Amino acid sequence: MDEDKIKVARKMAFITTDLQQDLIEKSPERIQRVAEMLPSVVRFLHQLRERAIPIIHQQLVYRETDHVEFFNGRIPCLEGTKGVEFIPEIEADKDIIMKKRKDSGFYETNLDETLKGLGCDTILLGGMQAQICIQTTGADGYFRGYNVIAVEDCITSTREEDKRRALDWISGYCGRVLSSTDIIAAYDAHTPIEFPVIYTP
Amino acid sequence: MNYVIAEDAAATEAVILDHGTGARLSRELVEMIAAELGPIYIGEMEDSAILSLSGERLAITTDSFVVQPAFFGNGDIGKIAVCGTVNDIAVSGAIPRYLTLGLILEAGFPMPSLRRVIRSIRAAAEEAGVKIVAGDTKVVGKGAADQIFINTTGIGEFRRPPLRMKDVRPGDQIILSGQIGNHAIHLLSIREGLGFEQRVASDCAPLNGLVDTALASVPQGMIRSIRDVTRGGLCAVMHEYARATNCPMEVRRSDVPVMWETTMGADMLGLDVIHLANEGCAALFVDPDHAQAVLAALHLHPYGKDAAIIGSVGQPGSEGFHLTQKDGSVVEVEELLGAEIPRLC
Repeated sequence: MDEDKIKVARKMAFITTDLQQDLIEKSPERIQRVAEMLPSVVRFLHQLRERAIPIIHQQLVYRETDHVEFFNGRIPCLEGTKGVEFIPEIEADKDIIMKKRKDSGFYETNLDETLKGLGCDTILLGGMQAQICIQTTGADGYFRGYNVIAVEDCITSTREEDKRRALDWISGYCGRVLSSTDIIAAYDAHTPIEFPVIYTP
Repeated sequence: MNYVIAEDAAATEAVILDHGTGARLSRELVEMIAAELGPIYIGEMEDSAILSLSGERLAITTDSFVVQPAFFGNGDIGKIAVCGTVNDIAVSGAIPRYLTLGLILEAGFPMPSLRRVIRSIRAAAEEAGVKIVAGDTKVVGKGAADQIFINTTGIGEFRRPPLRMKDVRPGDQIILSGQIGNHAIHLLSIREGLGFEQRVASDCAPLNGLVDTALASVPQGMIRSIRDVTRGGLCAVMHEYARATNCPMEVRRSDVPVMWETTMGADMLGLDVIHLANEGCAALFVDPDHAQAVLAALHLHPYGKDAAIIGSVGQPGSEGFHLTQKDGSVVEVEELLGAEIPRLC
């Protein structure tokens, strides 16, 4: 293998983003879209736990003083409220919970240090919204040297066209887009998941 | 890199309304600012600065700075306040000499942050070779301003003929002194936490040295005009020159210098880099026979290493901004109606 041109995933972690009450309940369309995605996420989480692949849930937490977009007339995901909590289907005891305050999961969090501590070189991205937090976390992770995989069936956006555009962007600039089934199959078969090394001019 | 101003102003020394009343606290604040400015402040605390200038003609410009966030990688509102005004003077062909400094401070602004801004002003002024000759400080109540606003007025003197848009001719080559879009992507990334801020730094820089280098590289008059590419980006500058000359500005997108990560960020945000703000990039309009010499000179300057010839001035009669896309098609780029992105300067 030409290591100048191809990298392979050696140790993965799955990062879910913003699967929280307030963020999902923003609109009926979002509730519907998350409901459509959730069976894939739950199945994938179960498969990852069986294989001891680390899972990190990123939790958007705002404070009263934050200048952010109001949802239904109030600050969403306010510290200490029910709205900041994850939906019950996704959490398990050994999962890592990580708070964040901005779009990228790496921005002023210890995600990078946590992943390094786990020995991970590859991040699997899931959750919502594809065109904001998934995209920015993917870009940020890529800049920090991680292989980036957007898990297609575990990612959603309120609008399908936003999800498609975001996944196209990820595959064009900084990572791969794979289904959870393909990832598990590759892992079980010890088939390397390869990433082209992109040299920035 | 910490871009966040200490949020709990009460936990540290902060600006209070009494710093703006003209009494002892006001005096102490002004003395602190003067001390931090050090040798670049040559005011005498009189009501007016009395200056000596050698040229017969002066260049004077003023600009106000409200950038949010006030602190970012490779700079802060203080550095922008110096560089923005220095650059406006420099691109007219004048030598920047003096600045005035007006500060509007929101009560509660942390004093350590103010010191940081003033030290940044000092560093930028030292690099640009300008002196602060007069200043003013006002304090407003909480919410009446957003942390800190700065106004600077610059004075420059001409030791060579002024550069003017009206001197630009058909066939002149258009040179960009550096990559575009970095300042906007960097600041947007900090504001929203987009993850690009470590890779894409603001280009904020004083350009008077670069302008001097360019002007010295060719005979007088061969550089017709220079404009710093700030708010509105390359698109706004091209339209401005098209209107002033009644000639189209013809630019090849593939030759416009843009960092790969900046393209990536702009594409993610649905923005076109030609509209993005910059704080350390200039467009030079140069006689075609001397464009390569100017380009070579720019490449030797630290702020000009990515300079490129991006197009030329077309024949009169059809003003506008004509952009040749990477697939060879030519599009006429409309001027934006309003701001595509807010408060980056």
